[in-house]
Amino acid sequence: MTRTSRSFRMTATVAVAALGLLATACGSGGDSTDTASDGKPVTLNYWTWTLGAKSTVEAFNRTHKDIKVKFSEIPSGTEGYSKLANAVKAGNAPDVATIEYQMVPEFASQGNLIDLSEYAGETVKTKFPQSIQDLVTFGGKTWTVPYDAAPQMYYYRTDLFEKYGIEVPGTWDEFKTAAEKVKKKDKDVRLASMPKSDPALLAALAWQAGGKWFSIDGDAWKPGVDDAATNKVATYWDGLIKDDLVQTFTGWSPEETKARASGKTLSFLGASWSAGGMKTSMPDLSGKWAAAPMPNWGTAAGGNYGGTSYGVLKGSEHTEAATEFITWLTTNKAGVEARLADLESPSSALPANPEMREVAAAKFDTGYFNGQDIYQLASEQVDAIVPGWTWGPNQMDVYTAIQDETAKSGFTQGIRAGQEKAEKGITERGLELAK
Amino acid sequence: MAAPSAPAVGHKAVHAPAAGPPGTSRLRRGQRRTAALFIVPFFVLFAVVMVAPIGYAVWMSLFEERSSGLGFGGTERAFAGLANYTKALSDAGFRDSFVHIALYCAVYIPVMIGGSLALALLVDSALARAKRFFQLALFLPHAIPGLIASIIWIYLYTPGLSPVLDLIGSFGGSWDFYSNDHVLLSMVNLCAWQWMGYNMVIFYAALQAVPREVIEAATVDGAGAFRTALQIKVPMIASAVVMTVLFTCVGAIQIFTEPKLLNQRGAPSIDTEWSPTLFIWKAGFVQHDYGTAAAASLMLALLGVVLSYLVTRLGNRWKAAQ
Repeated sequence: MTRTSRSFRMTATVAVAALGLLATACGSGGDSTDTASDGKPVTLNYWTWTLGAKSTVEAFNRTHKDIKVKFSEIPSGTEGYSKLANAVKAGNAPDVATIEYQMVPEFASQGNLIDLSEYAGETVKTKFPQSIQDLVTFGGKTWTVPYDAAPQMYYYRTDLFEKYGIEVPGTWDEFKTAAEKVKKKDKDVRLASMPKSDPALLAALAWQAGGKWFSIDGDAWKPGVDDAATNKVATYWDGLIKDDLVQTFTGWSPEETKARASGKTLSFLGASWSAGGMKTSMPDLSGKWAAAPMPNWGTAAGGNYGGTSYGVLKGSEHTEAATEFITWLTTNKAGVEARLADLESPSSALPANPEMREVAAAKFDTGYFNGQDIYQLASEQVDAIVPGWTWGPNQMDVYTAIQDETAKSGFTQGIRAGQEKAEKGITERGLELAK
Repeated sequence: MAAPSAPAVGHKAVHAPAAGPPGTSRLRRGQRRTAALFIVPFFVLFAVVMVAPIGYAVWMSLFEERSSGLGFGGTERAFAGLANYTKALSDAGFRDSFVHIALYCAVYIPVMIGGSLALALLVDSALARAKRFFQLALFLPHAIPGLIASIIWIYLYTPGLSPVLDLIGSFGGSWDFYSNDHVLLSMVNLCAWQWMGYNMVIFYAALQAVPREVIEAATVDGAGAFRTALQIKVPMIASAVVMTVLFTCVGAIQIFTEPKLLNQRGAPSIDTEWSPTLFIWKAGFVQHDYGTAAAASLMLALLGVVLSYLVTRLGNRWKAAQ
C-alpha cells in the first residue's frame, strides 16, 4: 500500500464521515398552503391537537360553501409549537392553529402571529370576559381569539374514596391528611400523582396560590417564577414527594393512565377539559368518577390549567377567511356543538364565551359522571380564578428549564432555574427586563 | 459542462499523484465526456444537499433576532459576528453535552465493537447451516426503525408497565433503568441492540474474505479456534474494524432519539440539552434561536471531522502494525 493512496483514502473517509454527520438535523414537513383562485372556495389549513377537531371541521365544511378547511392533527406541547414555529419560518405554516394562552405572548413576540385587532378585536372585546381578554391582548393588539376557560378541577374515584374512607379534600392540608391515610391503608395505592414533567400544572397551582410568573411593568417584563406563592406550592409538593405520599408518574404517560385505570391512583389534578379524555382513556370506569373544586389554601381560589385560543399564523394569505372560521369555532353554536359531538374524542372544554357555555353544557353527556353537572361546576370555578396572571415571552424555554431541574432536584430548585431562564431569555432577545 | 480543452493536460495527468493507477486517466475525449456525465449528478446533488446547506448554516450563524421593549413590535435580524459561537461555548449546557457524549462513547464504543466482533467471529466459526440463521437473527433488530426500537425499550424500562421489571420484582429484586447510575447503561443497551447486528454483518462479510488456506495453515500449526480468531482473523479484517469504529463514533456523537425519549419519560439525569444535538434542537426550536443552533451545529460538525481524522489516523497506524 503506497503512502499516497493511503492518505487519499483517509481524506476520502474523513470527508464522507463528516458529510454524513452534516446530513442530519434538517427537517421539514407540512403541506404547502393552497392559494385560492377566482371562483373557487378558499382553502384554509388548520393544525390542532384539540379533541373534537375532526367533527368540528366536518360540520364547518358542510355549512360553508366559500371556505374549505383542511384539518391536520399535530402533537400538543413543545413538539407542536416547534412544528408551528418552524412552519412559519419555512413559509408553509397553516392558516389557523390552536395556540394555548400560555404560548400567546411567545408566539406573538416571535412574530409568528398575524395581528387580529382589525378582524376580531371587536369580537374578543364584546364576547369574552375581561380576565380571558387579558390573556390574548398584548401591546394593545388582539393576537388570538379565545376558545375556552380552563379552571382547575379535582377528579376522584367515588367508589375507592368510599372504600378507603376518605372525604373529598377541600384544602391542601386535608389533601395531605387524605394522602397519608391512603398510604397507610394500602402501600401500593396513592391519593394522587404529581408529575415532575408537567410544568403547566405547577403553573396552575402557583396561579391558584396567588403567584404571578410574569407581569408587565410599563415597557418591561417582570418575571416572578420563584415568587413567594410559587415557593409555597413547590415546597408543599416536594414534601409530599419526599414522604412518598404521592406518585410521580410522567405526565400524560401510559403508566400514569394505567395507574388511574387500575385504581392505584385515586384522584388527579385536572381541569375542565380533562373530562372529555377520561371517557376515551378509561371507558370501563364510567360512573365511578366525580369532579370537585381543586383543594385550596384556605379560601376558594383557582388557576387556569391550559386553555386554548385560535390564531392566524404569519404567512397566511387568507386572514379574513381564517378569522371567519375562528369566529365560528369560538362563538357559534354549531361550532361548539360539533366539537362535543365527536364520537371518538369528544371535547369537554368549557367555552370562555358565556352563551357558548350553555350550549356546551346542554350538549355534554354527563353519563360518565353519573349525571353530575360538570359544566355547572366548571363555570363556578371560572369565577374563582385569581385575576392578574400573565404568561411570559419565553414560556416554553422557562418550562423546559423548570422541568429539567425539577427532575434532578425537585420543584423548589426547578422554579429557581425557571426564574433564571426567564431573566436570561428576556435579556438575550433584547427585550426589556424590569429591575 | 465544459470538458477540459487543452489536450496536453490529459497526458500530464498520468504523472499527477492523485490521479490513481496509470491507465485510467488515459481517456479519449468521448470517454471523458461520458465520465463527466456520470460524475456531474453527484456534484450537483452534493452542492444542493451538502454545500449549500452548510453555507446557509454558516450564514445563519452570523445573525441573531433582536426585539425591543415587550417584543410585540416584531423582530429584526441583526449581524452578530461570532456572538452566536461565543454564546454557545459559554453555555454550560452545551459544554456539558460534550462531556455526556464522551462518557457515553467511552462505554458504548468498546461494547459495540467488542460485541459485534465477538458475534461475527462466533458466527464465522459456527456450523454452516446455523450461520445463516444467526446472521439473520442478529441483524433483525436493525430492521426496526430507531424510534420504534426506542419506544419498545422504554416500555420495557418503565416501572408499572414493564414485564421485565415485573419479573425482577417477582424474584424480590429491583432495578431502576432511569436512575442516574443506570441510565447511561440503559441507553448503551438500547443503541447496542439496534446496531450490533449491523456491524456484525460488516465484520462477518470481511471474515469471508480471509483466505481459508491461511486459517488451515494456522490450524496445522496448532493454533486453536480462539487463537486463530484473535491472531489471524481479527488482524486480517483490521480495515473493516477501523471503518466500523469510525462510523460508530460519528453516529454516537450525534445521538438524539434515545436521550430525547428518555428525557420525555422522566429520566432525571437526561435533561433537554443532554447531547449536542439535543442542545441544537432546543436552541433552534424551543428558544427560536436559529443563529446559536447553526453555530452549535457547525461546531459539532467540526468535532466530527476532527474525530474522523483521528480515528482514521490511529486506525491506519494500528493496521500498519499488524
